[in-house]
Amino acid sequence: MISCREFRDQFQPQSQDANLLEHVRTCDACLDFAAHVDPDIMFRAIGGSEMVPPGGVDAFVDDVMRQVRVRSAANVVNIQPRWSWRRMSAAAAIVAGVTVGTTMYVMTGFNPSHDVLKPVATAHVAMVQKNLTTKPVVETYESENATIVEVPGESTGAQIVMIVDDSLPSDL
Amino acid sequence: MAAVLRLMIPTKESVEPDDRQLVETIRGGDADAFEVLVRRKTSKVYALCYRIIGNAEDAKDISQLVFLKLWENLEKYDKQYAFDTWLYRMVTNVAIDFMRNRQSRENAVNSNLRLVRTSSDPEQGVVVQHKEVEAVFEEVSATLSPKQKTIFVMNQMDDMPSAEIARVLGCRESTVRNHLFNARKAMQQQLEKRFPEYARLWRQR
Repeated sequence: MISCREFRDQFQPQSQDANLLEHVRTCDACLDFAAHVDPDIMFRAIGGSEMVPPGGVDAFVDDVMRQVRVRSAANVVNIQPRWSWRRMSAAAAIVAGVTVGTTMYVMTGFNPSHDVLKPVATAHVAMVQKNLTTKPVVETYESENATIVEVPGESTGAQIVMIVDDSLPSDL
Repeated sequence: MAAVLRLMIPTKESVEPDDRQLVETIRGGDADAFEVLVRRKTSKVYALCYRIIGNAEDAKDISQLVFLKLWENLEKYDKQYAFDTWLYRMVTNVAIDFMRNRQSRENAVNSNLRLVRTSSDPEQGVVVQHKEVEAVFEEVSATLSPKQKTIFVMNQMDDMPSAEIARVLGCRESTVRNHLFNARKAMQQQLEKRFPEYARLWRQR
């Protein structure tokens, strides 16, 4: 920046020199001098191109970029699905295809009977039951110390439901 | 070897792309380039906002708002025109909107509280100082319309010719000159009424 002496030597009324204007924006003594030479300089002395926002340029830029990121993120979250004609026609084609397929399916008379499905279901249940059997089935049992609980069966007479025998293994 | 060395030394152009190149980079999705642009334009945008609005905190808020609008509207920038002209238009639009809102708020709340300052000794000489000039300007420019003040600031304080102001504001140059004439006339009247010592100093051309 030029000195005060240089400023006072060079300053003329209606001066447009950037160096002179920058000087007068920072020096009260030269502003007072210039205002008495050229009153129009008075209000031009306010500010200058190198003004800095409160808190400094770095903090200002950080604030702006933070808000930019927040707004960008908000825009991503708020994106709404747009129903373009292309998407609408694709959806309509899918619906029409399903409808026609269903109609053809019914019209051809293909009606699966229960006989076809039954063996599959039965086999599945039997397999599940077989898998669930983890202990051997006792069909005959003889012991002098055992306590055998019997209840009458519906068709086959007595049915044993409980055997208590201390000589048997504990996991039986 | 010399050619290799010359390639390795970054030129000024490669380090500092111009505004249009930066805008293209930002449009390509590079947020870091936008940070470079904000850093480059902060002083100019803030200075213009400060002179129009006259308050540091408000000027800072409005400057931030300008950059956010810039981010959201960058796709609309036409490379045929100077970037600064487009940016200044955004600054003036936002600042003028703010001034209009502030004026309507102040008019509603403080219409009866304005103090009219009169000098006790008009013949006394005046020592011109920056803080005093800022206060005087704020008081006498309060009567200007937001557009008048913006044009006055751009022309008188930012050294912008009326043709450039017309491009920024999207109006005729004659309109700008008309606003300037009316602004100076209104300010001269306010100076004579409130600051006669300055009124003698700041004559109307």
